[in-house]
Amino acid sequence: MHSAASIPHSTPAGTLLEAVGLEKSLGGKPVVQGIDLAVSAGEVLGLLGPNGAGKTTTLRMCYGYLRADKGTIRIAGHDLTREPDAARRLLGVCTQDDTFDADFTVRGNLLQTGRYFRPRQPDLAERIEAVLDRFGLREFKDQKPDTLSGGYKRRLMIARSVIHRPRVLFLDEPTTGLDPHARVAVWELINGLRAEGLAIVLTTHYMDEAAKLSDRVHVIQGGRVRASGTPAAVLDDVVGEHIVLLSDTSAGTRSVLDWFRARGVRPALVLADWHIPLDAAGLAAFVAAFPGVAYEVRPPTLDDLFLALAAEGKGGDTNGVTKP
Amino acid sequence: MRTFAAAFQWQSRAVLARHVRVHLRNWHTVTLPPVCEPLIMLLTFGLGLGSQIGSLRWQDRDLDYMHYLAPGILAYTAFMSSFFQSLFAAFIRMHFQKSWEGQLTTQVRLEHVVWGEAFWAATLATAYAAVVCVVLGAFGLMGQLSLRWEWLPATIPLLFLTSLAFASLGLFFTAILPSIDHMSLPFFLVIMPIGFASSTYFPLPDVAGLREAALFNPLHHLAEGLRFLLLEGRPTLHLAISAGLCLVLLMVLVPVDMRLLRKRVFGDG
Repeated sequence: MHSAASIPHSTPAGTLLEAVGLEKSLGGKPVVQGIDLAVSAGEVLGLLGPNGAGKTTTLRMCYGYLRADKGTIRIAGHDLTREPDAARRLLGVCTQDDTFDADFTVRGNLLQTGRYFRPRQPDLAERIEAVLDRFGLREFKDQKPDTLSGGYKRRLMIARSVIHRPRVLFLDEPTTGLDPHARVAVWELINGLRAEGLAIVLTTHYMDEAAKLSDRVHVIQGGRVRASGTPAAVLDDVVGEHIVLLSDTSAGTRSVLDWFRARGVRPALVLADWHIPLDAAGLAAFVAAFPGVAYEVRPPTLDDLFLALAAEGKGGDTNGVTKP
Repeated sequence: MRTFAAAFQWQSRAVLARHVRVHLRNWHTVTLPPVCEPLIMLLTFGLGLGSQIGSLRWQDRDLDYMHYLAPGILAYTAFMSSFFQSLFAAFIRMHFQKSWEGQLTTQVRLEHVVWGEAFWAATLATAYAAVVCVVLGAFGLMGQLSLRWEWLPATIPLLFLTSLAFASLGLFFTAILPSIDHMSLPFFLVIMPIGFASSTYFPLPDVAGLREAALFNPLHHLAEGLRFLLLEGRPTLHLAISAGLCLVLLMVLVPVDMRLLRKRVFGDG
């Protein structure tokens, strides 16, 4: 087995996670259908998509929880299937649910997790003390995890995932259910880990989180990468340059919607407003065709991405509704 | 082969060590049940019921009930403790505490978690059986029990093997029970029949087919084998048959457990 620090020569420079052609069916249903991922040191890749898109399944294959039906996964050059011990030694995982060991204290959890890795860390005790300070957990070190607030439970989950000094970190919806203050605190920790050179893969439903933390995002839909690039480029690609907001109760809205639908544009209804993604030419054509209609225009956000995916009729649940 | 090779890998020991660590932290409370249970059983059944029964026929000789019961309790403790731990406690850790999922995000894989649980159930059950040995010794000191005490240490490896085999049975039910509400089913449908058709607490009644069925029950052979060993100082074929049946159980059930638990834990056939 390779030591934690050794990297085989075949590893492309800087690439710590390399997944090629991942496929997975669960219960006979294809969940992931040919996904490729590559993440370098100091990079955060965000996986976005509606529920059931295949994000968590992709992540679970990458950290060895699920076996891929097809495809290869390399962690710092180590094949996850053929060299599971070497590959798993180099990855850390923060699962969506709290999976700490309820029978141990905060400190005990860090120690116990450290014991699940070989080669052993000769300085594990010192490492635990450093992590307790780094993640702001020192004052809770003798408490059971169940007594912590949601934000500190998440801190413990992330702290536990890096106790063995991994090189690739998987964060599955790390801030779900946290208040804004706790979310920001977790973001700062993630940014710090990125600065230390970890390659990070992050799934999230929070669009602002993906935009703030990710260098690149993959939009996953129906088990495939629907779009990929920087958050801005992905928005441009999937959503368009502008979002036109049109009140559902305004006079003439019906005919405007019919006009859009005739041109293949799929408006989405969010509460009382229709959200219509358009490129510059589409916006110009709309303004020319309906000079008297009241509307607003704003730049697209990643929330619009989900609405656009839902409007395509391929995704899972969505906040938006497409009226017939 | 990979399934069985995992039993000897460090990850399985790491999971076992985790369970030992948690248990030892609470030793002062968790030691009470294994001490009290055989004590109560020997007092109520051995002395209480035994005084009503007097003696019973075993191997064409009269035997007072206390002496019949003592080896049986030893076998039953290993069987019951192991099954309970691998079913109930493992189910809690898998389903509610999610500590399996936490372990599976490390270098520990499912086969290690399963072996760690099985070894822990067997270790705990054997430790409980060792406590029963001490309690039996105390009854011996009080003059209530006369056994071939020199054979007592030799029973430990057999009790461990039996516990490991029944742990694999417990894990089978851990894998297939839909919820904790169904936990009593294996006790009524499997454990009680195995326990009662085993010569642990009373000799097998003359019921059609029961004696034939008991031939395939490792607990029956263990109880009878321990009885010959501890009452007469005679190792018999019963012990070898019990060990053989336990090995068969392990060889068959562990791969099945792995397959079912893979489906249960990962949702992956």
